[in-house]
Amino acid sequence: MTELLAQTGLNALYAASYISLVAVGLVLIFGVMGVVNFAHGELFMAGAYAIVALYADIGVPFLAAVAAGLVFVGGLGLLMERALFRPLRDNPLGGLVASIGFLMILQALAVMGFGVRMEHIPPPTQDVIVLSEKVRLPVSRLVVIVSAVLLLSALWYFLKRTRFGWALRASAQDPEAAALQGISINQTARIAMFIGAALAGVAGALTAPLVSVNPHMGHSVIVTAFIVIIVGGVGSLEGAVVASVLYAFVHTIVTTFYDGVVADIVGLSLLLGVLVVRPTGLFGTADRA
Amino acid sequence: MSPILEVDGLTMRFGGLTAVDGLSFSVAEGVIHGLIGPNGAGKTTTFNAISGFYRPSGGEIRLRGQVISGQPMHEVARRGLVRTFQHSTLFAELTVLENAVVGTHMVHRPNLLAAVTGSDRAARAEARERARAALDFFGLAGQENERAGDLAHGHQRALGMAVAYAAGPQIVLLDEPFTGMNPEETRAMMVLMEKLRDSGVTILIVEHDMHAIMGLCERITCMSFGKLLAEGAPREIREHPDVIEAYLGGTHHAA
Amino acid sequence: MLRAVIGIALAAALVALPHGLSFSQQEILVFLTINVLLVASYRLLTLTGEWSLGHVVIMGVGAYASALFTKQLGLFVPLSMLLGALTAAAVAWALSFPLFRMKGFYFLIGSFAAGEIIRLLWKRFRDPFGGPKGLKGIDPMPDFSIGFYDFDFFEPVSYYYFAGTVVAVCLWIMWRIEHSPVGLTFHAVHWQDKLAQASGIDVRAYRTRAFVIASGFAGLAGALLAHYIGTINPNSFDVEVMVFVLTWAIVGGTATFYGPILGCVMLTVLNEIVLRELGFEQMRPLIYGAVMILSILFLPKGLESVVERLVGPRRARA
Repeated sequence: MTELLAQTGLNALYAASYISLVAVGLVLIFGVMGVVNFAHGELFMAGAYAIVALYADIGVPFLAAVAAGLVFVGGLGLLMERALFRPLRDNPLGGLVASIGFLMILQALAVMGFGVRMEHIPPPTQDVIVLSEKVRLPVSRLVVIVSAVLLLSALWYFLKRTRFGWALRASAQDPEAAALQGISINQTARIAMFIGAALAGVAGALTAPLVSVNPHMGHSVIVTAFIVIIVGGVGSLEGAVVASVLYAFVHTIVTTFYDGVVADIVGLSLLLGVLVVRPTGLFGTADRA
Repeated sequence: MSPILEVDGLTMRFGGLTAVDGLSFSVAEGVIHGLIGPNGAGKTTTFNAISGFYRPSGGEIRLRGQVISGQPMHEVARRGLVRTFQHSTLFAELTVLENAVVGTHMVHRPNLLAAVTGSDRAARAEARERARAALDFFGLAGQENERAGDLAHGHQRALGMAVAYAAGPQIVLLDEPFTGMNPEETRAMMVLMEKLRDSGVTILIVEHDMHAIMGLCERITCMSFGKLLAEGAPREIREHPDVIEAYLGGTHHAA
Repeated sequence: MLRAVIGIALAAALVALPHGLSFSQQEILVFLTINVLLVASYRLLTLTGEWSLGHVVIMGVGAYASALFTKQLGLFVPLSMLLGALTAAAVAWALSFPLFRMKGFYFLIGSFAAGEIIRLLWKRFRDPFGGPKGLKGIDPMPDFSIGFYDFDFFEPVSYYYFAGTVVAVCLWIMWRIEHSPVGLTFHAVHWQDKLAQASGIDVRAYRTRAFVIASGFAGLAGALLAHYIGTINPNSFDVEVMVFVLTWAIVGGTATFYGPILGCVMLTVLNEIVLRELGFEQMRPLIYGAVMILSILFLPKGLESVVERLVGPRRARA
């Protein structure tokens, strides 16, 4: 039983890692731009296909392919900022609709480029760390966990310790006051979109060998991310991370002992429950919606 | 004459802050009653608690002896206490007439089934008539098909009162009705209020600028730092040393 | 007088329409008719200012309920369709208790979560919902005759006339509601809920009312769909369909009654007829997405704003 719990805990830790990368990006974009990016799951998908194209098809080393995926998806974020969210800055519903349009375009491009079939990518390493007979941690999962910790720490340092980070937090709290302080809204929006998108892309790239990659994989990712950012409190990056861990553990445990559909129902009920009892989330104080 | 509205030991706390602290006063029927005080005295909080916008932390508010505190705003309105809002809070996208028709909601409750079958034709006509009468009362008769958001500032305020009047209230609460008005608009608004009072509606005005309502109110309640400071006729209030102190003292500017 | 002539001409055109179309286009026409009801009911829901992402699932509730009423209880199809609509309205009423504690963005996400939960329940419970494969062999509408016309429901044209009549009646009812004091109250709740409350309007009750009525009509649309295609599954009502509804409403515009219907018709024609005929099979979602983006960027008030500019200022309500 302890071994089963330990294994479940490791699985949950892995899930929490990539979920928090996606959710933190979504919160960052919502905080700075005030727009709900429905295409966030498809940015994750785009990161996964970067691995299909570069690592699986032409043999670029895995970590180099991940880095390329990060830059590529970050670039998609910049494109979205310039083409969609900047012209629609005063129209949050419009931004949401435009992101749905972008989502459809990305999905269609994936279908046209790679077909609808599932892609199974050979993991870069088959090594498994054997902790005990029944508790095992594949190295490729460890890579995801370590990368998530490193990236989120770097983001934390960037936001709390650098001038750009300060500007970003200032305009997330009060865009007008920040503008008066001489902070360029376009500049902070670009940075937020690049980082937010890149985090989703890197999560997709890192997990690509561990899941089945297909053009519609973004759906469950965005649903999970919504649950996490609401439970964590919209606008709270720390809340998003804590909620990711919480959600991953609940979901993994319910999946282990019941099944995946029940786990999804539990997750969504958690979301509804939080919305009913405390609409600002467990950690949220922001009320920008 | 028995009071129409009684505020009894009203207390409002927000977190650690006590905005209103055991406030008691009452409003006699058929008068224009002023509630004044310097900035931060808790007037607007009191106003919001009376109208049902806030739920009081303590104390009771009674309308004709019936407890209304703790009731939601629409329930308070249904018992005959209707409020207006600061600035020009209107259904800006609807026409002037439609605004007033919404005001008649309590008198002519819309019925879904009748709306589909068309058997509410008479009720609709009556609601429109009532709305027109309210517009007429406040001098807006010629503008009923204009978009409310397009009206001049003074007319928007008048429409706000017409919407309240169309509801057939026993007492109307007016939230800083003179803010941002020029002297001419202020005079016109005062005439409307007296007309409203003469039609049998009690009025409670919350106002920061005490000079504005000196000539209008029969009775004035002055509060400071969440508590009752003084109550009396306008002349008594104007000469009350505590009121003068509250308005001149501290960092508050004289109004 | 002019309006009567236009009305009769429009009705005649709608009756004649299917006879100039191919069989597959006739089928699309049936779907379009059902979708018009769906999107019009969605606009009724948005009148009070809340945008739901669960509307298509509510449509599915009507579809599942109606299909199960015929399958399990052997009810007469038109009767079970009505009961399906009522079931959808009842489910919406139950959902309104948690959902209307939320507003704006939170309502959007809350309605999405509630819808996904319902869909997962269909997936999880094979009995009676059939699990991921859904329900098959749903009873078709029984054929009948009205003297001068025989309804043969293997023909899309017959189903088009049947569904078209039902939808026309529903649109008429929704139009009556909107242009009544009830509809005016919906608008009031949308534009200034505080002032509406001060006028004695129970804002939450009216939001619930709009939600429940809209859901009833969506449920009826679902029932019409279920008994036409004969098979439904949880994915028939997933968020992608919801995205289509949202797009129709936004591309068409939601300020007028006809805006979302216009959006639905135009985009369906573009998607199903033009793009299909041109052979852009895989590219259709791409072009659809691009149309969404372009219209929100360059026509933020929807197609209806173009029509309004051509026809002139709108008349007053109530």
